[in-house]
Amino acid sequence: MKEFMTGNEAVAQAVKLCRTPLIAAYPITPQTAIYEKLSDWEASGKLEGIMMRTESEHSAMASCIAASLTGVRTFTATSSQGLALMHEMLHFAAGCRAPVVMVNVNRLLAAPWGFWADQLDSLSQRDTGWIQFYCENGQEALDSVIQAYQIAEQVYLPVMVSMEAFFVSHFMETVYVPEQEQVDRFLPPIDLPHKFDIDKPGFLVPVVSSELYRKYKQMAQVSMDSVKEIAVRVDQEFKKEFGRGYGILEAMMLEDAEVVLVTAGSITSTARLAIKDLRKQGNKIGLLKLRLFRPFPREGVQQALRGKKKIAVIDRNISLGSGGIFCQELRAALVHSPDHPLTFSYIAGIGGTDVTPEVIQKIALDVIARSEPIDQPMWIMEE
Amino acid sequence: MRKKSEPSFEFVIPISYGSTEVIETGKWGFQKPHTAFMTPPCQEACPAGINIPQFLYLSNEKRQDEALLTILRENPLPGVCGRVCFHPCEANCNRAQYDESVSIHEMERYVSDVREYEIQDIQPLSNKDSRKVAVVGAGPAGLSCAYFLSILGHQVTLLEAKKEPGGVMRWGIPEYRLPKSILRKEIQRILKLPIELRTGVRVGKDISFDELSQFEAIFLSPGAGLNAPLSIEGEDLKRVWRGGDFLEGINRKDKIKLGKETLVIGGGNTAMDVARSALRLGSTVTVAYRRTRNEMPAIKDEIDEAEEEGIRFEFLIQPVKVSLNKKKRLRITFQRMKLRGFDQTQRPKAIPMRGEFFTLETDHLITAVGEQVDLSWMPKELIKNNLLDAGSTSKIFAGGDAVDQPRTIVTAIASGKKAAISMDLYLRGEDPDVIFSKIRVGNKSSLSMETYLEGRDSGRWPEVNEVVSYQQINTLYFEPSRRVRLRKRHPQKVLKDFSEVNLGYNSEEAMLSASRCFFCGTCNNCYNCYYFCPEGAISFDPVQGTRVVDFIHCKGCGTCAKACPRNVVKMEALS
Repeated sequence: MKEFMTGNEAVAQAVKLCRTPLIAAYPITPQTAIYEKLSDWEASGKLEGIMMRTESEHSAMASCIAASLTGVRTFTATSSQGLALMHEMLHFAAGCRAPVVMVNVNRLLAAPWGFWADQLDSLSQRDTGWIQFYCENGQEALDSVIQAYQIAEQVYLPVMVSMEAFFVSHFMETVYVPEQEQVDRFLPPIDLPHKFDIDKPGFLVPVVSSELYRKYKQMAQVSMDSVKEIAVRVDQEFKKEFGRGYGILEAMMLEDAEVVLVTAGSITSTARLAIKDLRKQGNKIGLLKLRLFRPFPREGVQQALRGKKKIAVIDRNISLGSGGIFCQELRAALVHSPDHPLTFSYIAGIGGTDVTPEVIQKIALDVIARSEPIDQPMWIMEE
Repeated sequence: MRKKSEPSFEFVIPISYGSTEVIETGKWGFQKPHTAFMTPPCQEACPAGINIPQFLYLSNEKRQDEALLTILRENPLPGVCGRVCFHPCEANCNRAQYDESVSIHEMERYVSDVREYEIQDIQPLSNKDSRKVAVVGAGPAGLSCAYFLSILGHQVTLLEAKKEPGGVMRWGIPEYRLPKSILRKEIQRILKLPIELRTGVRVGKDISFDELSQFEAIFLSPGAGLNAPLSIEGEDLKRVWRGGDFLEGINRKDKIKLGKETLVIGGGNTAMDVARSALRLGSTVTVAYRRTRNEMPAIKDEIDEAEEEGIRFEFLIQPVKVSLNKKKRLRITFQRMKLRGFDQTQRPKAIPMRGEFFTLETDHLITAVGEQVDLSWMPKELIKNNLLDAGSTSKIFAGGDAVDQPRTIVTAIASGKKAAISMDLYLRGEDPDVIFSKIRVGNKSSLSMETYLEGRDSGRWPEVNEVVSYQQINTLYFEPSRRVRLRKRHPQKVLKDFSEVNLGYNSEEAMLSASRCFFCGTCNNCYNCYYFCPEGAISFDPVQGTRVVDFIHCKGCGTCAKACPRNVVKMEALS
């Protein structure tokens, strides 16, 4: 069914379609609309699961972990400060191998206070052991939530699906809402094997020896690494069922490109437009969209960028004292590639500022003109 | 269900199947919780000292037999009291300070009516020292005294001047307030105990007062059966009734015919009973009272109901003369009154307004200005201020309306119980004051027969509990709710005969009403402490129905004491 809706509602639709039995959440702008939509449906009897009202995001995540360990699908949504408050529990979710699915609406982190789009909140959580996706629009967010359950429940790791505040969460676009039967076919009910057994009570998170701790971390790393393959496979199965696919990254006009722009999230849409114009002007330019961030698709990135001369990574985030975080990851992934390209870090769209086609053009022209490497991130502003 | 061939739980994450019980967290604490029941203010206010939260709890659990038994331990007449008691329990109910008091009065009636209770569970003590005792007068006080004396194992002879027992309950209170069938059932239950009832025996006439001395202890509860006169001119005219005689006639099922209009003088319960009965005989009724509505001694509900039924009230008037007019109707001359100052009991005094007289004409006049004690057969040393006073030295005890105490059914029942205990103590040669301090219920005058029976032979008396105040109740755990309104017979039907007006609660209404109780100072197994204990150190013994604290693991955090809505759990410092 084709409908006109916000990214937030698209996410709520996905959660409903996945028949998630437990949703524990705490409201925070700009995520609250997801919570409200699900609550409305709960009140009118349209939601199969229950909404659990918690007193904080920390408790929301703790509740999801506990519920997940009883063997059921769980969901929560948060943003910015809420995600930061969850931090401790994020490690517990991954460490307990709880396949919780969460949507994070990327909002800047205080201080100063604000509500605007910025990816620093979720990128700050990159080392918590969560799988991370970044979505371009509401449709992709809806589809990614459905895919997220399929992946999470295969590897027993939690998944965070991120989309930017307002640009995705509040913009209304046409969204295809799948039929329930399709989703049921793609995502049958689960009965997680690792769940509490009333007849054999156990205590989770006991103290373990150094060697055991290391063993579990190694096992988790192996599982995390397998996600790259599994995510690709799940996306292909998804495409078969629903007719839409995304890959874990997406290459556009890369074949003959000498210069490549790298983006994640909603800036990709603008960049798609910008490179068409740049091509018309005779520039050999391409675009690479990063969708999966954790695990980082190192091999895919290496392959896509082989033989390219210059890369410009556009980051709507900054790790102070270093630079754009996607750029750091990209540089690290390319370091062993033969003749690896010069990689430039561009900071644009911080704090929800507009990244217009002109801004992207400015970045492209800047990188085309450069011949020497530069370590410092470059701030690009609108005129 | 999608089945996975993935690694087992333990393989994915570490899990321990050992127990943390080995860690004795109880050693960390500085204080420990303990359970201390308290006396609720309703029970303290009940002259009979009924364990109200307990009977409400049992009733709410649908354990109606045990609920009734709980009442019967302290009061042999719940069917009567559940109808005609002035229920000071409700006035003192903690819940009244929150929203509305619990419907205790109506619940007592419900518990009594819902079960045709066989008395086999109320057994007399096997008393090696059983004595022959007498009770004179089978009204509420005498029946109560005989009941408790019999439970205490004494051989009771109950003497009644009239041909049936019941006293004021039988001959005074009209059927529409207290059906005779209910009274009969309750008296039958009392008389299943080995009590020898002798009716039609009037002391001073059928046997002499001195003949009572064959008994080792005697309880006198002759009641106040004489009608006080108005002491005015014309009082002896035909068609002028005394209230008590009028009610007795009705309760005897005499054919009484009243004219169109009846005037009733008085403001007490008798006046209300007279007025409402006259209304049922087809007369229009006006009540004349010398003070105002606020000073009327009748139970407020009775006044309200009388008014609802269509009785008119005239206040601040006092009759001074009764005569006949030309048509042989009664003409009553009234003096107008005003309130000025207070008497010794702090009631406003009514004084005449000089020269302010007027007359009213009526077909019948019924006076109900108080009852007096028939003292003609009593030895002089037992009389004080025109009332019976047994003093404290002899083997004679007294109670009910004949002594100096409020004239209510429940007060009479309480005096019978107190006398039964006093007589038992007298026969055992023990000091009543010492024992009374151990069996008191709260700080008013109520005594607990249950506690007396507990300590009587063992000599081990439980501690007297403090009274729990509203401020000590954790009202966060209660939701506001209204009392269940009492259903009454249709107002158009109610005046056609003497059928009972109040219909009582059905089981649903009773459940709602019982569940409104805060159960102040007692444990009703709400499980709050159990749920809130962070250590999981509290458990319930399902057999005993008691709460058990695992002190090896209780850290003494005090959460249970805070979470107890009823102030039963208290923290105690460890030395």
